[in-house]
Amino acid sequence: MENIIKSYLDEMISSKVPQEVHMHSNAIKPHHHHKIDHKHGEGSSIDFYAYNSKIRHWNPTFKVLLSVLTLLLCIVLNNHYVSVAVIIAMTYLTVVKGGLPLRAYISVLMIPITFILLGTVTIGIDFSSEPIGQYNLNLGFCYVFTSQAKLWAMAFLILKVFGAISAMEMMALSTPSSEIIGVLRKAHVPKLIVELMYIIYRYIFILMDVHTKMKNAAESRLGFCDFKTSCSTFGNIASNMLIVSLKKATAYYQAMEARGYDGDLVFLEQTGSVKVSQLVFTTGFLAGLILLWYLTN
Amino acid sequence: MNVKEKRFVAVVAVLALAFGTTPVANAMHIMEGYLPPAFCIAWGVICIPFLVAGYLSIKKTLNENRKAITILAMAGAYIFVISSLKIPSVTGSCSHMTGTGLGAILFGPAAVSILGLIVLLFQSILLAHGGLTTLGANTFSMAIAGPFVAFGIYKLGLKLKINKHVVIFLAAALGDFFTYLITSFQLAMAYPSETGGIAASSLKFLAVFAPTQLPLAIIEGILTVVIIIGLETYASSELTDLGYLAGGTK
Repeated sequence: MENIIKSYLDEMISSKVPQEVHMHSNAIKPHHHHKIDHKHGEGSSIDFYAYNSKIRHWNPTFKVLLSVLTLLLCIVLNNHYVSVAVIIAMTYLTVVKGGLPLRAYISVLMIPITFILLGTVTIGIDFSSEPIGQYNLNLGFCYVFTSQAKLWAMAFLILKVFGAISAMEMMALSTPSSEIIGVLRKAHVPKLIVELMYIIYRYIFILMDVHTKMKNAAESRLGFCDFKTSCSTFGNIASNMLIVSLKKATAYYQAMEARGYDGDLVFLEQTGSVKVSQLVFTTGFLAGLILLWYLTN
Repeated sequence: MNVKEKRFVAVVAVLALAFGTTPVANAMHIMEGYLPPAFCIAWGVICIPFLVAGYLSIKKTLNENRKAITILAMAGAYIFVISSLKIPSVTGSCSHMTGTGLGAILFGPAAVSILGLIVLLFQSILLAHGGLTTLGANTFSMAIAGPFVAFGIYKLGLKLKINKHVVIFLAAALGDFFTYLITSFQLAMAYPSETGGIAASSLKFLAVFAPTQLPLAIIEGILTVVIIIGLETYASSELTDLGYLAGGTK
């Protein structure tokens, strides 16, 4: 906890931001379960890992560009050797360089597994009234069929998706969102949107905190004892949360005005410079991916 | 809990049991890397007019009332948190609302398009749901198509003088359902079936995701009504500020 508070305060103090926002930003509650399941909502563990990453001090623009370029190459080249190379390289960066526990990394990669399995199986199989294809199954009124080639295509698609996810997660697990937003600002995304993103990012944690408190209060009063009660409790918490958040919104605006907000949010950013060795390695890696594609195609 | 709510929750319980299964997946975010580059770009381009309209509408609101920026940001954070909460289910499986129907009813579809884009970006960065290259496709299905349909049904229902809570249920449930239709179609266009083309492939995706998405749409509708009932009871002045009650029947 100490670490996050420190890193939060380090990176975003500026006289034009309401103090309340900082106070509440400390309220992130990372959870340390590294189970392979679909677990989130009670706080964002990815954000927590990003602040603790050993490669956090790397220049954020460099990390975002590396991640996005790798991601694009992985999708555009559409080659399974490239996908495997991307998975290995990005896992190396995140786990070895970034110091993220392997189990935590795998659990993050496994979040979309339901979608991937359902989606890929759907692509792999097909229906027909004739028994065609290498493997088919008679369902009575039609045949489900697939072929060796399709099964390979499915496997390659899964590799490509995991390559893309590992490239994106390399960025997400090493760069806190406020720094990613900073990169967007440098990329000339409209000021209004960047400002909204900065504020929304902070409010998310405030609301999560409010929600955790309300949920605990309801749970200790048997608010989730059965399905019916859970539904009404969920609805009541959600509506109450909107009321609380609107009240807070007014208070925050006043706090911002009291600190001289005149329509511009300015944030202090600490960004390390890009090392020559990093640039050399990146260029080599991206060129290597293209070469690999060229050689195997 | 009043009589109306009780009756409502009873209907939910029956429906949930009738379906037998509870949703396992969350709202259908197309994962990173799933769409070929041409589709990523095409869906992104389709979103642009809606996003520009949303941007201009937000800008106009802010020019009239600078204070609205914290309210808009809270609305965005609210949509994010609502969509990341585990919703109640019988078997204890894990599923989530999209929150877009509720957002469209409360804040209007134009604002939701921009807020939805930001929320989807945060979902991919903070929760690993969706992705950067599929952001265009996801924005179109969840932040544009779903909310616009939900808002259209809501306005139409109010014009026809149907019971407001029924209208809200329909708007949220059908908005969610429409998102699922669009997502299936997006996947089918990228991966058409060899024998039946895009149409057959759409049916495949619809069938595979139906067991999770149909009950989810109904639960989303019910929860949205419960939330709105709560808001009408305790927060009518705030709702008037948001413009929700201005066009309503109350």
